[in-house]
Amino acid sequence: MKALGGTNGLSRRDFLRNGLVFGVGAQALASGYAAVPDVFARAVLSAKSAAVQNDKVLVMIQLGGGNDGLQTVIPISSSQYRDFRPQLSAAAAKAQPINKDTGLHENLKGIKSLYDAGKVAIVQGVGYTNPSFSHFDSIRVWETADPARRQQDGWLGSAIAKNYDSAGHPLIGCACGSTNVPGMLRDLEATLTVIDDAKTFGFQGGQNVEDVMGTLYRSTPGIYGALFDTAMSTARDTVAQLRTSSAKYTPKGNYSDKVQLVYSSKNQLAAALQLAAELIVTGTGVKILHVTLGGFDTHYTELNRHDSLMAYLDSAITAFHDDLTAYGMADRVMIATWSEFGRRPKENASGGTDHGTASPIFLIGDGVKGGLYGETPNLEKLDQLGNLSYAVDFRAVYQEILASHLGVDAKEILGQTFDRIPFVKAPS
Amino acid sequence: MDAQAAKPARKARGLRRRHVLVGAGAAAGGLAITKALGLYNLPFPANQTQSPTAAGIDWISPLDKLEAQVAHLLRRATFGATPAEYEQSVKDGFKKTVDRLVETKAAEPPALAGAEEASQEKSIRPQDLIAWWLDWMVRTPTPLAERMTFFWHGHFTSDFRKVNLQSPFIYWQNLTWRRMSLGNFHDMLYQVTIDPGMLRYLDLATSTGRNPNENYSRELMELFTMGVGTFTEDDVRSAAKALSGWREPITQAMKDALMKRALEQGRPGRNITADAVKTGVFEQQRAYVGAVKFLGETRQWDTKSALERVLTQNSVAPFIVTKVLSAFVTDQPADAYVKRLADAFRKSRYDVKSLMRDVFMSPEFLAPANYRALVKSPTELMVNIAKALETPALATAATAAPALARAVGLPGQSMGQQLFDPPEVGGWPSNASWISSNNVLARVNFAQATLTGLAKIPAFNDAHAIHLDGVVSPATAQLLNSSPDDATRWLILLASPEFQLK
Repeated sequence: MKALGGTNGLSRRDFLRNGLVFGVGAQALASGYAAVPDVFARAVLSAKSAAVQNDKVLVMIQLGGGNDGLQTVIPISSSQYRDFRPQLSAAAAKAQPINKDTGLHENLKGIKSLYDAGKVAIVQGVGYTNPSFSHFDSIRVWETADPARRQQDGWLGSAIAKNYDSAGHPLIGCACGSTNVPGMLRDLEATLTVIDDAKTFGFQGGQNVEDVMGTLYRSTPGIYGALFDTAMSTARDTVAQLRTSSAKYTPKGNYSDKVQLVYSSKNQLAAALQLAAELIVTGTGVKILHVTLGGFDTHYTELNRHDSLMAYLDSAITAFHDDLTAYGMADRVMIATWSEFGRRPKENASGGTDHGTASPIFLIGDGVKGGLYGETPNLEKLDQLGNLSYAVDFRAVYQEILASHLGVDAKEILGQTFDRIPFVKAPS
Repeated sequence: MDAQAAKPARKARGLRRRHVLVGAGAAAGGLAITKALGLYNLPFPANQTQSPTAAGIDWISPLDKLEAQVAHLLRRATFGATPAEYEQSVKDGFKKTVDRLVETKAAEPPALAGAEEASQEKSIRPQDLIAWWLDWMVRTPTPLAERMTFFWHGHFTSDFRKVNLQSPFIYWQNLTWRRMSLGNFHDMLYQVTIDPGMLRYLDLATSTGRNPNENYSRELMELFTMGVGTFTEDDVRSAAKALSGWREPITQAMKDALMKRALEQGRPGRNITADAVKTGVFEQQRAYVGAVKFLGETRQWDTKSALERVLTQNSVAPFIVTKVLSAFVTDQPADAYVKRLADAFRKSRYDVKSLMRDVFMSPEFLAPANYRALVKSPTELMVNIAKALETPALATAATAAPALARAVGLPGQSMGQQLFDPPEVGGWPSNASWISSNNVLARVNFAQATLTGLAKIPAFNDAHAIHLDGVVSPATAQLLNSSPDDATRWLILLASPEFQLK
């Protein structure tokens, strides 16, 4: 396969990085590790972050496979929609209207009530020019925020590396419910960890084995040496952090992964979001999190499959928001969804849809200025391949997240500026 | 700092020469391990001045020695070796071992009980399917064929979630990939296209001439043969038409289960007959009729001619070769190397066996720059550990090996790889992508759990020579030397960064 993690060419800082890791890393390990106390972690954070003095947190939810925007934010009054989708348009009658032309999928009940409370922004018609219909290629475009495909680093990895200097503090960035580093967080200089399951994240042989591993993964030679050494020291730091945070956290949202998906996803979204909540509310200093829900590549029998995915997504997000609200942190945290593409307006013979283009993004949180942004998809004016034209460059959404929510220099990361989409409330 | 994980510290132009330098610590460690265990001469350069903290420190390739060449080959072409297999291969030498691996026809695993009869009434349990395959990876007498089956499983991938286990389809797919693992890529591509599991996984079974489904046609070109950017959207749509008309087969057991369910629900059962074939069934009336332009040629296509058209494209051989190299040699091959192997592959009319021989016999395979240039996948790691710890008792007891396979099977998921369950249609990530905080922890835990679960720890003997070529970091050397017992030595070895590499 195309290595999503693949890279081309070694930059000069790889060498620097190697040098740093071999030098400093070994020393840090030799002196042993102690859990960074909560207060101290915050102090480290603010002391090291020249640019970032706020406590804002971002949670990206990847809808893997290409979410069908037209079945999520539904053009309920469009006859074209019914013509294109004889089967799938059954969703229109059941949708929850937010105005006369647009309705949310019937299973997005929790999100609808958050929308009514002004806490959900929906940016419609998000995409990019010359869209790719390849999952991997388009994922890479979204991950690197670079339709020209020159960038290797993820836009969030880059945001971490450039803004949150955090030596000795592994939990700035965290992929929850994952075993590998998601592309959005990838950056050679970003501090982040990966936690598949917090309950099993510990050394089975106890402290003794952990100490031995700290020694074993030290000054490892070879092209992967620095990767191994940092991965191990990050694992040990994470173990220590989780030990502290788990003791302090009780979930106050109704998380459940006991859902019947038509085509089961291996991603346990609710568990991943619960872990995210734990890391946020216990003050680990985490800033940027990434979770994934797969199963959106609905080429066939989409109606049932998509219905179940919407219900699952809605219940997990609702639980997460309830949890944060109960802990009084819903104003600090923004949830943003993303997916590599939407789907073809015309349904196929399998009762599904093939790869398409523009689709909506959801931004959820108490700091969000709710409402509809972007443009309602125009089904009258499809492109020559029968796909939607995009109205909003996805990087304009990134820009608002970076600049207005996280409070960092968006241009430094995106390389250019876009028209503002003001879905973040001005600080009160 | 796992961000790096997804991004290997690339072998840069400067690093390509593989600076041979090991600090004083390494040299001392090497000496010490040689002395303490008295076994293998750790090679190290005579004059070292640089400290081990300098950038660009690298393993010293031992690949000028036969033992290391053979061990390197077995780590990559197979799932690692038992001590006995290693001894035999050293005795045979490198070339004869390559011959044996490449020329031996794939041995079939014993049937998985109940799999042929899988239906809505009784599905295959995923853990049984996974243990069945892992067991065979450990025990097979034809390990290259097995390694290639695993390679194709990641390339022509399918998962048990979408294919589901209420049919023998995914089990059949595994048997088919194994039979074709070292055969001809033409033939294999046709079998892949009409494989029942694949027909379901990428929706070709529901694609009709009137309403073609593009899922398979896109991935056929993008992921299976040509690579992204080598075809147009029109080609995707044309191929979807050209390949339409297939349906899934239905077995007697599947039919019986459907009838039973219909009866229970008081419906008349549909009038269907069970199929005798283990492939898709072509129905002309569902196929597209008419000429379409596909990859520059306009005509009426059928599945075979469309696949042949794909295989005439210049992009195919380099694409497959690059992927093979990233699993067997390096993920940064020089262009000339890819071209050389690709030209030969195409000239052989896509004979996979001769491609693999070319790969193993290429000077690049044993080049110092490619020593420890690949990261073992979790599956390779698990099977390798099972083989490394294999004792004569385990090897002879028919029940012991499945037990071991079962014990090692489930943790795969925690390390990021559960067989028959790839994360996406592109299969699994590779090499540096395996290295994350989560995964290094899970790997250590796996080694620890496996050792704890053994009734008897095998003697360590010269395990560091067989499995690590005696080439270890100062840290590993020091820990091995100071270990109080064999159990600890095994843990150090199996959990070491060295052992994660191949």
